[in-house]
Amino acid sequence: MEELRKYAKELLEKGEVAAVIGYQQVNERRTKPIIVTDPADATKLVFNEYCLNNLSVYFTRARIRSLMRTKDKPTKLAITAKPCDVHSIIALIQENQIQRNDVHIISFYCHGVVRDFGCEFSGDYLASKCITCETHKPLYYDKIFGEDKVTPQASDKSLAKIKELEKMSSKERFDYFKSEFDKCIKCYACRAVCPLCYCQRCITDKTIPRWIESSSHGRGNFAWNIVRAFHLSGRCTGCGECDRACPMDIPLSLINRRMAMEVKDLFSFVSGRSLETPTLVGSFDKKDNDEIFM
Amino acid sequence: MKIGVFICHCGENISRTVDCPRVAHFCEGLPGVEYSIDYKYMCSDPGQKMIKDAIHEHKLDAIVVGSCSPNMHERTFRNAAVSAGINPFLVEIANLREHCSWVHDDVEAATEKAIELVRMAIEKVKRDKPLTKIKVPVTKRVLVIGGGIAGIQAALDVANAGYEVVLVEREPSIGGHMSQLSETFPTLDCSQCILTPRMVEVYQHPKIKLLTYSEVVKVEGFIGNFKATIKKKARHINEDLCSGCGLCITKCPTKKKAYNSFEEDLAFRPAIYVPFPQAVPNIPVIDETVCMYYKNGKCGMCVKVCDREAIDFEQKDTMLVADIGAIIVATGYKLYNIDKKTFDSKYKGYGEYGYGKYRDVIDGLQFERIASASGPTAGEIKRPSDGKEPKKIVFIQCVGSRDPSKGISYCSKICCMYTAKHAMLYKHKVHDGEAYVFYMDIRAGGKMYDEFVRRAIEEDQVKYIRGRVSRIYEENGKYIVKGEDTIAGVPVEIDADLVVLATAMIPHDNAPTLAQTIGIPYDRHGFFNEAHPKLRPVESTTAGVFLAGACQSPKDIPESVSMASAAASKAMILFASDTLEREPVVAKVNEDLCAGCFYCKKVCPFGAIEVKDITDVNGIVYKEVAYINQGVCQGCGTCTATCLSKSIELAGFNNEEIFAEIAAL
Repeated sequence: MEELRKYAKELLEKGEVAAVIGYQQVNERRTKPIIVTDPADATKLVFNEYCLNNLSVYFTRARIRSLMRTKDKPTKLAITAKPCDVHSIIALIQENQIQRNDVHIISFYCHGVVRDFGCEFSGDYLASKCITCETHKPLYYDKIFGEDKVTPQASDKSLAKIKELEKMSSKERFDYFKSEFDKCIKCYACRAVCPLCYCQRCITDKTIPRWIESSSHGRGNFAWNIVRAFHLSGRCTGCGECDRACPMDIPLSLINRRMAMEVKDLFSFVSGRSLETPTLVGSFDKKDNDEIFM
Repeated sequence: MKIGVFICHCGENISRTVDCPRVAHFCEGLPGVEYSIDYKYMCSDPGQKMIKDAIHEHKLDAIVVGSCSPNMHERTFRNAAVSAGINPFLVEIANLREHCSWVHDDVEAATEKAIELVRMAIEKVKRDKPLTKIKVPVTKRVLVIGGGIAGIQAALDVANAGYEVVLVEREPSIGGHMSQLSETFPTLDCSQCILTPRMVEVYQHPKIKLLTYSEVVKVEGFIGNFKATIKKKARHINEDLCSGCGLCITKCPTKKKAYNSFEEDLAFRPAIYVPFPQAVPNIPVIDETVCMYYKNGKCGMCVKVCDREAIDFEQKDTMLVADIGAIIVATGYKLYNIDKKTFDSKYKGYGEYGYGKYRDVIDGLQFERIASASGPTAGEIKRPSDGKEPKKIVFIQCVGSRDPSKGISYCSKICCMYTAKHAMLYKHKVHDGEAYVFYMDIRAGGKMYDEFVRRAIEEDQVKYIRGRVSRIYEENGKYIVKGEDTIAGVPVEIDADLVVLATAMIPHDNAPTLAQTIGIPYDRHGFFNEAHPKLRPVESTTAGVFLAGACQSPKDIPESVSMASAAASKAMILFASDTLEREPVVAKVNEDLCAGCFYCKKVCPFGAIEVKDITDVNGIVYKEVAYINQGVCQGCGTCTATCLSKSIELAGFNNEEIFAEIAAL
């Protein structure tokens, strides 16, 4: 921990970065994001199993981005990122939202995080994305801390649920999602936490014409959640923030994960894993399955 | 807004299944519709007059025509509207024929659907905005790809009209297959004698930039404004210094290192060579694969004998970029691989004929070389294996052609004629020889063509046998040709000294690659597609790209030449004005909303989308957005559909217009 603070302090003091986007401890089992611009505040930085937020979403915020331009010359932003958050950063770089040179990635060997604040770190309360995670060491980084530890064993309930849904008839599945989407209050928290929802004006907010019904019942709820699923398929890196942010506990990552499985089957593509592989949308390969066109 | 609705019966094409008067009557009551009428032929002169009169009389602002596909008559109705003072983009077509009457038979339901289609068009036209055509400049320079007779003719025609031409030929010399032929049907005049003056004319023409041993590797842009990247392969000879004396060729120690492809592998050539004596330009090429210098760094005989110091072993491939207004593709053909060893998966070989196994089973182009005065036998008919004069020769037509089981269903068109010519040339040179031709049908359509075949049969006594050959095998120095005479109904066996196979014409192997480079469609064989089989035979579907010669389908010389002249005139029509009018149906990015993900740029098939920097007051770039070049955009709408936040609008098909159309359903 001290290493991290020292390193961040130096980066800020040398003026190599304009800010460090990091985590701050709130209580024993809770952290919150902090944007450190003053080297003296570097002592607040932490990294542990309670660092749940995917901080890469801040790269898409105009106010944070403007930090890169406040000095005389363009400056980098540093971020403390879990290996899975690095996937989001990769996707953002590929979609031209940030340049690799603008980011200083401080990452960690990761053995999983808790499902929610306040939980004890154990197999029972492990975040769903960590159960099948294969990236314990970040794919890209500028500095790495920590050591590789073993992830607690846990059962993949989300996959079990997907399998269960696959077995249903389309009517049953429709009813399941209808009952889930019925809960949606259109708070758009899922959109706010998603690093890849960086559109300056979301299609749901387009009013002339209004393609997406914005009311909070049947039609509107389906329209929003289906558009969200489509816009993220082939792009979602599976950070699971939408799931965590949803105040109505709609299992959003089930949809995203199922779409990602589909994409992997059809195109052998997983989003946010390589800067060299072209994005799925917008790349064309003669070997692509003709029956599905994305 | 006052809208006029015009419902066409299309004779009976629409009215047979759609109650047109009812559709027109229904529309009368719709909000915004001032006038509605049906008529038997809206596209006819009286029909168009009805539209114009109604526009004047009822002071209409926009019109909807329920008729055939906009592909057919959108232009007609737009022009009618323009002449009555309405912007052409305030005309909407509801396709009541292809989308309705032709595909349904229930009158009641089809009429309901027709009403829906017209209602959608009415809602769209209410939101349509007047658009003006975009003017783009035209580069008056033609790129001709391929230096065979078609390319030569096209280049000369364009250049003689005063426009610049860049002629790109893959081989070291122009001339193509025609330069390999001995005589030409149906006049038996010497091919080289009529071709070489044209080749020289190309070389000397001040308006033609000739790039031999070069290939087009990239084509960007659009009609009137292409940018072509051409790779000029290293000849290893400084073209400016070489005088073409040929001393290097005679002194090169690698005398018989490589097969001479101009002689169809019937002769050899050294590492440094010109393909044939009349080559244009008469500048040699060094074949790196056989040259001793590239093998072991030694030799350099050519350097020693060249007093002009033109040999340059260090020469590298160079890239040239040319601004081009129109492209004429004339890449020609190659012969179908008869050899079973080399056939690709698309075609099946004719191993049963022993081509590639028996040296005296040859193809048509090889016979041309044997019969040619400049060929490896100096025009004497000698068979390749032992140089003896064949006393019995068998020609087999349709080898590959018209044989779907071998992968080629089409007729190669020229083989009937050239086989008759071959047989005749043989008889003229070997007076006591016997010539047999196996044929399926004789297709000799063309001026003096049938007479030519009759002459081969009657005057030169070539024996025509209608039937196919099943097998050829060697026995005591003879080739036993086993076939069938289907007229007499008997099996035939001929002990031939030489067998000539009239093999199918197929496109070059890299024709699809070139088509993809230029962006033109091609058929399943690899022949380039014309825009319309009857009415637009020399245009590709890509505007500004024209086709000439056998790259489009098998052709003989006069057809290739006339097609080349037609393509040239198409290019010159384009150059007749300084600017080009383009449809204003182009996409535009809302820069305030664009998040700069550039998925639009990745999917744009025309390369029309660029990155534009948005800077703050201090001049620091804070945002990159997509910018669409209006001159390049073809209005396909791919970017519009891809944009996640719908921040791109396609003029004439914007979000509001499409939404209104859907909402009207």
